[in-house]
Amino acid sequence: MLFITGPLYSGKRTYAQKFGGRQIYEVQTRAADAANLAVLADELAACDVVTATEVGGGVVPIDPADRAAREAAGRLACLLAARADCVVQMFCGLPTVLKGELPEC
Amino acid sequence: MLTLVIGGAASGKSAFAESLCLRAPLPRTYLATMQVWDAECAARVAKHRAMRAEKQFDTVECPLHLDRLTLPRRGTVLLEDLGNLAANELYDPDGAGENAAAAILHGIENIAQQCENLILVSNEVFSGGADYAGDTDRYLRTLAAVNNAAAARADAVVRVVCGIPVYYKGSER
Repeated sequence: MLFITGPLYSGKRTYAQKFGGRQIYEVQTRAADAANLAVLADELAACDVVTATEVGGGVVPIDPADRAAREAAGRLACLLAARADCVVQMFCGLPTVLKGELPEC
Repeated sequence: MLTLVIGGAASGKSAFAESLCLRAPLPRTYLATMQVWDAECAARVAKHRAMRAEKQFDTVECPLHLDRLTLPRRGTVLLEDLGNLAANELYDPDGAGENAAAAILHGIENIAQQCENLILVSNEVFSGGADYAGDTDRYLRTLAAVNNAAAARADAVVRVVCGIPVYYKGSER
């Protein structure tokens, strides 16, 4: 599985689409309501490409539910990165490989 | 050796910093900075205590006045985290107030002199917007000053991204 993370609108989906296969985008939105993040990560890791937006780099939210959602999104990203064969961080449309090797396009 | 480990919320920075400590020589001291206000804080403290269980860390509570702390022994020290320290020094009535950044940097130097390996954990909170005022802006400026000075002083600077260490300075060893 190729896991692509990065800030909002950094080009994750455009980059993901170079690779084909079964893809799922913006999975950080699924973390807050997940009963078990490890189980969710296992399910998502069955896809070929998974993307998630980084949401943990801002000021700590005042709202407890927002804080919990942000924590869950971060935990999910760690779990996905651990399961991924390759992890890419996007920045301004540019990919940096943080783990493994890119699959063939 | 001074190492700065930095990352966003739930980025895996704590687990990575602990893994660095486990590779470093004993004894291990954990400098805890969180002031426990409510159940959420208590849960976070419990989670981190559990992560440290059986890892031979002695915990020393140090929410304020790092510059006055005397460590019981040398070895490896894990300080977690600079974001809490900045808030405590800025806003606690007993804290350094507007001199928070200087006090914390002084404190880091004080601890660095008393151990072989100091691992600092800090927080990436600067990517969520650029239009802050008042206390929030003061906090961001303070923490940024601490982070940047600590990074300049450090032998290694590591940003943790979804559990993966990315070295900006120095290298893994």
